[in-house]
This record gives sequence, C-alpha cells and structure tokens, in this order.
Amino acid sequence: MAWADTVVAVLKKYNVRYLNYLPDSKIEKLLEAARNLGGFEALPLTREEEGIGVVCGLSLGGARGVLLCPTAGLGNSINALASLAIAYRIPCPIIIGVRGDLGEFNPGQVAMGQSTKGILDALRIPTYSITREDEVEKMTEGALRVCYASEAPVAILVTNELAGWKEGKART
Amino acid sequence: MIDRTEASKYLVSKLTDELVVTSLGNEKYDLRVSGERDRNFYNWNAMGMASSMGLGLAMARPDLRVIVYDGDGSLLMNLGSLATIALREPKNLIHIVWDNRSYAMTGGQPTATAYHTDLGAIARGAGYPKVERIETIAQFKSAADRALVEPGPWFLHCLMQEKPVVGGGLPSPTAIKHRFMDAIGAHH
Repeated sequence: MAWADTVVAVLKKYNVRYLNYLPDSKIEKLLEAARNLGGFEALPLTREEEGIGVVCGLSLGGARGVLLCPTAGLGNSINALASLAIAYRIPCPIIIGVRGDLGEFNPGQVAMGQSTKGILDALRIPTYSITREDEVEKMTEGALRVCYASEAPVAILVTNELAGWKEGKART
Repeated sequence: MIDRTEASKYLVSKLTDELVVTSLGNEKYDLRVSGERDRNFYNWNAMGMASSMGLGLAMARPDLRVIVYDGDGSLLMNLGSLATIALREPKNLIHIVWDNRSYAMTGGQPTATAYHTDLGAIARGAGYPKVERIETIAQFKSAADRALVEPGPWFLHCLMQEKPVVGGGLPSPTAIKHRFMDAIGAHH
C-alpha cells in the first residue's frame, strides 16, 4: 500500500470520517486514497482556521474529523488551535503536508515550513513526523491514540522524505 | 433596530432540543440570560469560529437544528466560512448575526458594517439560500419562527443597537464542553 492508502485506512479504523482540507500535492494523495477507499466526506475550506472550527464542532457533536493542510496553512490556524481546541480540550488531529524543507524550490514556503514544528512545540502540540514508508501505520495510529486520549490537538507531518518534494520551477 | 436581549429571549422561549453555539462577543451573555440551557455552547475567545463550529455541529448532528449566535466583527474575521457553509448547505443551520456595527467589547470601535459593508448581501452572494434582513422585533419573530421549522441554511442579519451587557461570567471552557456533550449524548 502507498503511504496515503495506509493513512486513510487508519483514519477509517478510528472513525475519522470528515476530511476538511486546503489542498496541496500531498493532501491530494490523501483525498484520492480516501475516494478510493470510500466512506469519507471531504469538505474544501477557504482558510485553515475554519477547519479547526469545523473539526471542533464535529467533535462536540460526537463525530470525528481531521484538518488536512500544508505547512503554510497551519500558520492560518494558530489562534483557533490555542483559543478553541486547546482551551476547551477538544481532540483535533491535523495532517500537514510539509513544504519548505528537503528539496523545496519555492522561497515563500521555507520560513513557515521550517518553523512549523517549533510553533507547535511552543503550543505543546505533539508532532509526529513520518519519514519512512514502514512507519506510516504506526505513526498515524499512534498519533490518533494520543489525540483522543488527551483530548487535544496533535499534528502528523507528511515529509518530503516520505512523499517526495514538489518539482516546481526550481532555480538550478 | 432590535434589542438583542429581547430577540434572544423570544428565540430561546421557542427552543426545545436545538443546539446554540456563540461567538466570543456580548451575544453570549444575552444567550445566557435568555435561559440557561445545557445545549448552549459559549465561546470564551475563539474569534470568528462560531460559524465554522456551527457547520461542524450541523454535519455531526443532522437530526438537530443548530443555531449560531455570531457578531459582525467575528463574522468579518471568517467571511470565508460563508462560502464553505453555502457549498455544504446544512439544512439544519440557522446563522444569526447580531450586527451592532462595532467591536463592542473593546470600546465600540466601528467595524466595516458601520460604513458600506452589508453582511446579508455577502451571505446571499456566498450562496445562502435563505437570507433575511431584520430591523424590527416583529420581523425577527417571523423569521425565527420560519427558520425553526423550514430547511436552511438560514442567515438572519439582525440590525441592533448595542447596550450595556447583562448577566455574569461564564463557566470554565471544559465545564461548558462537558455539559453540552453530555446533554446530546456525544463522545469524542
């Protein structure tokens, strides 16, 4: 199974049915895998903090969702994480497609991508970085277990080491 | 111009099992004094999130009507949620915006709706099928009565006059959450 198929199979095992997303190339792999597996509802957002609100609303109603976004988008969601998910202790899994790191071509991605883990560390939000194909299931499932046990946000980072970098129009 | 406390008390008097989620502004205090309910979710400080939370709740519980108490400042911070709600089209969502044209909790600084911005027109443009502009209590009662029985999503744009806040402080965030979830039998 490709990494994205494994991730969505774990989401399904944990009844995480609602995929709230801002797209990037890694997120599209997850959406494609979810369409193939079936049983999910994908909701496109205009901005990532909306996704925190939707996931929290779903959770208060007894349903499970996830925010799927690139590292740049995580920056748009910080106050919602702090003032809602953390303050009210609401489990809120986030799967982040990493940009700005190994192999990046776009200068505008670099600062946010490379500070994502530091920002999440400052908020005491645990991060689980997946770099190897043989760790996808363990890291995804382990992160979800922590999320629902702690009733708090957790972040899963899908790295370029695992999923490859975007070729783009790199300066050579 | 309507009185938010009067309108809120009317609405709450009509409620049975509906869920209400507020934004962080003074509307949360009016909801409380309208009648304390386990199915009220009060927002301490997540500005802009009420509409998105209401959408998530409406998706999770299509069997219940979900009412959002939003403010003009808060909605202006999350205008994109109008487009997302419109595309998802939750029939059980009633989005009320109490528009006092100001950031009332921080000194009454004017918001964009004090100038040229019409939130009802934005909601209509975003794709909400049911948008009502409300300037009198009679209009509010009529719109609320219909919104509580007819499919939405509804957008009730309530033009109001801000006045001094009534009521006391809120319970802790986790107390609010647990009471709300227990009331509807929800589990994380």
